[in-house]
Amino acid sequence: MASVTASEIDNTYDTPGRRTPLVTGDQNYSTITHLVCRISEEAQPMIWWITFGIALPLLMMFGSLIGYLILTGVGVWGNMSPVFWGWPIVNFVFWVGIGHAGTLISAILFLFRQNWRTSINRAAEAMTIFAVVCAGTFPGIHVGRAWLAFWLTPYPSLNLWMWPQFRSPLLWDVFAVGTYASVSLVFWYMGMIPDIASFRDRSKNKWRRMIYGILCLGWSGSSRHWMRYEKAYGILAALATPLVLSVHTVVSFDFAVSQLPGWHTTIFPPYFVAGAIFSGFGMVLTLLIPVRAIYGLKNVITPRHLDNMCKIILATGSMVGLAYTTEFFMAWYSQNKYEYDTFVFRAFGPYWWAYWIMFLCNVISPQLFWFKVFRKNTILMWIVTIFVNIGMWFERFVITVTSLARDFLPGSWGYFSPTWVDICMFIGSFGLFFTLFCLFCRYLPIIAISEVKWCLSEQNHAEHRYAHGDSDH
Amino acid sequence: MSEPKKEKKPAEPKSHGWMAEYDCDHKLLDACRKVRDSGYTKTDAFTPFPIHGIDEALGIKPTVLPWFTFFAGFTGTCTALTMQYYFNAVDYPYIISGKPFASWPAFIPVTFELTVLFAAFTTVFAMLGLNGLPKFSNPVFSNPRFDRVTDDRFFLWIDASDQYYNSDKVRALLADTGPLEVEEVMEDDTPDAIPRKLLITIFTGIAASLIPLVIVMNMRNSKSGASRLHVFFDMDYQPKRKTQTPTTIFENNRVQQPPVPGTVAMGELDFADPYYLGYDPDKTVALNEASAETRFVSLQDEEGSENEAAAAEAPPKLAFLDEFPDGVVTDEMFDIGKAKFEQVCAACHGFSGYGDGLVSQRANNIGAANWANPTSLHSPTVRPQPVGQIYHTIANGKGKMGSYGPTLNPKERWAVVLYVKTLQRSQDGEESDIPTGATVEELDLRPDAAKAKPAASNAEPGTPSEQIALPEKPATAEPAVEEPASEDPAATDTTEKPAETETPAAEPEKPAEEPATEEPDASETPAEEPAAEEPSTEEPATSESTTSEEPPAEEPAKESGSSESDE
Repeated sequence: MASVTASEIDNTYDTPGRRTPLVTGDQNYSTITHLVCRISEEAQPMIWWITFGIALPLLMMFGSLIGYLILTGVGVWGNMSPVFWGWPIVNFVFWVGIGHAGTLISAILFLFRQNWRTSINRAAEAMTIFAVVCAGTFPGIHVGRAWLAFWLTPYPSLNLWMWPQFRSPLLWDVFAVGTYASVSLVFWYMGMIPDIASFRDRSKNKWRRMIYGILCLGWSGSSRHWMRYEKAYGILAALATPLVLSVHTVVSFDFAVSQLPGWHTTIFPPYFVAGAIFSGFGMVLTLLIPVRAIYGLKNVITPRHLDNMCKIILATGSMVGLAYTTEFFMAWYSQNKYEYDTFVFRAFGPYWWAYWIMFLCNVISPQLFWFKVFRKNTILMWIVTIFVNIGMWFERFVITVTSLARDFLPGSWGYFSPTWVDICMFIGSFGLFFTLFCLFCRYLPIIAISEVKWCLSEQNHAEHRYAHGDSDH
Repeated sequence: MSEPKKEKKPAEPKSHGWMAEYDCDHKLLDACRKVRDSGYTKTDAFTPFPIHGIDEALGIKPTVLPWFTFFAGFTGTCTALTMQYYFNAVDYPYIISGKPFASWPAFIPVTFELTVLFAAFTTVFAMLGLNGLPKFSNPVFSNPRFDRVTDDRFFLWIDASDQYYNSDKVRALLADTGPLEVEEVMEDDTPDAIPRKLLITIFTGIAASLIPLVIVMNMRNSKSGASRLHVFFDMDYQPKRKTQTPTTIFENNRVQQPPVPGTVAMGELDFADPYYLGYDPDKTVALNEASAETRFVSLQDEEGSENEAAAAEAPPKLAFLDEFPDGVVTDEMFDIGKAKFEQVCAACHGFSGYGDGLVSQRANNIGAANWANPTSLHSPTVRPQPVGQIYHTIANGKGKMGSYGPTLNPKERWAVVLYVKTLQRSQDGEESDIPTGATVEELDLRPDAAKAKPAASNAEPGTPSEQIALPEKPATAEPAVEEPASEDPAATDTTEKPAETETPAAEPEKPAEEPATEEPDASETPAEEPAAEEPSTEEPATSESTTSEEPPAEEPAKESGSSESDE
């Protein structure tokens, strides 16, 4: 524990000619194993119990509300003419967007050889899976008769005598999100196998040893296994990279393929993907800043990691801002009356408050990361990421609701108001998310131990070379 | 399953191999090279993280794993394309969005996803398969030191199956590489088969889990007189009688019963309260007692054809509210009414209410067939209407105008009525409306209401149209014209303008009047549009066809709320 609480080193500055350390505080392989494994071996801190104690009742509420919804019908939501895609779809896109950071960190940053991803990828991937679980719930219950949602899968049915309609973006969505969820899950699990083996080998308890032994499939750390494992990891990263970009692209098709002003734009796929990465990193920071403080992981999730993530948020936030502006430019430049009016309504119509909350949170607030103080002070950083989360929810709200509320005929305009079920379900989905995340922290390795060790070994070699004038390799 | 950790010394242990332990990856790499150069091939290294360069140091051959990925991905592509083509173009073709049955571009996303799905899963499972995982029983686990292989220790292994294997030589070789420890691992004598008990449990579990499936399959393929088990009822069975069926519950053996007078069904206050109806139902009942009686008798009586005719002549009159309900006449309601009027009504009726909205102008411009000009809200037939009647018209539609009930909630309807009344007053004010002794500056003239007036005078024929409309009044004295035209059979007021609401029966008698009744509206257009000649000449035919179509056209109009554009 002594080394864990060692004073934080500021590794956000680069020393020329020298590789900046990504693991600080005089660590060796053994201390890293201990650092991560003790989290699940020791009793959980009080804050864990508080979080879990809040999240679990919220999850129960979510479950009860789904039961209520299924027994009563979707009329319990505020979805009403003309806004038939209300909060459920907003929540779906919100959660799917959050679910983009994990696989992005494990796949794209892996391909770019960004070694700093090793400290954060596990937690981010877990966050991805849990966010996709939350996301998948909403369209699942939005289909009306939720017990018939399996009709979306192409299976030879004696009852229906028909097949899904593959020319619809909504079906693409089923495949994209389904593929993303399952591939992310195996990617996450595969990455965890060596670390679960660490858990197994440290276990004193017979049952614990047996359960982790089964979970890690008898991993022995053989070099032949490692070789295939690394190959598989690289291939999965290469597969997951286009996949992660495709998922939010397909989600954006749900909107962009329609004819509705405000939705029917070709900018949507890149804009959605940038927004997804933005919101995903926002949520990763929201989770990891407290986690690293609570579990004393400041030497592994160092200021440099946070700094890098802030820069990604800044970059993607600016892209999102560019997309918002481009939309307005196109609305004017297209000289399409409906498109133009839709955007005027968005910013100055009855939903102006939502639009400007979105704009402030997504475009203005990440600009604070230009200043180093915001990238160093974890509390300020955390506050900004909360704004990012709020803003990204509102982005989906603005896109979904404002476009539907005012379509071509003024006579059919309306104003969407959520019901208490809408609100409680959204809160309940956070219960689901945090329950899963708490359990993850409690039972699974929240840091990719073997990858950090590899990173540390690289770092040691680099230090060694630096000390010996680059002569011995 | 806990064998891996069992540490039993068998009676006659058989060597499984030698294991050397190192504390640093450099030492391990050096040792690996040494062992490789000595000619051993059945070697392995165990490390807590992948060590780069160890493949070459140990002589590990590259893996075939990428080929699995490639073929799986290819299979995914083919599967997806075949599947989508077969489903949407062969087995179940139907037209959607005008796309071809085989819309290859639309098949791309699913094809991509399935390619990735197949490739990714195959990669993971092939990796595990090639690695021989899961493998819960492994002799190396029998050494407690080996627990640190996932922590900070590196192990080099020479297997006893190597062709050059010689226990002593191997030991000497390994000891020479600077290890922390060199140990011989004995063959693990614990059976590596899954224990019988566990096997039975697993098998039983799987078998038990299949029982529901077997039951379901059996039920699906067998005939039974018993009704199906309904988990979700899907409204298949409802505890109710279908309409038009007999019943023994009521004396007259009919399922359909008139409600007890004054009944208000749950959540249906809008069918019973003057605020929601625009008329007082109780007073209406009193007003129509006699005729309702006749109608009821005529409907009951199978041979009562004359009675029927009599009933049709005396449709129920509605006791419309003369005064606004409480809380309607406020500034806030005025603002709502103005917003809603301009959003919903002005498209046809025009911003100032003269029936010269853009839709109407356009329809007249292009000489749209079936176009009935919207009524001017300032026409003498509309102006005296009680507020309840205007409310009723908004809620239920009238003539060619569809119902705006679904669009405007009762509060908004009243707000619109308030605005309409204000508009009317603005065009037809009396001197007494002006507070005595007040100067123009003192008057609280709402800018919006004030604006309506100039706009109207621009639109020209406010007064002329009214003057022309006046003579038609006698023609409108005809009773009974409303019934087929409006949703609510009770919706009528005999002073209604007839142009929009002729019954087919009344048609032959009044073609002469119809042009005249249309005139007020038609006469507005010439002032603005030279093309208005055409529509006005076509008017008789137009309005006739309109009226004859009205009853069927009414239903969809209620849905869309835009019957005006119905051509």
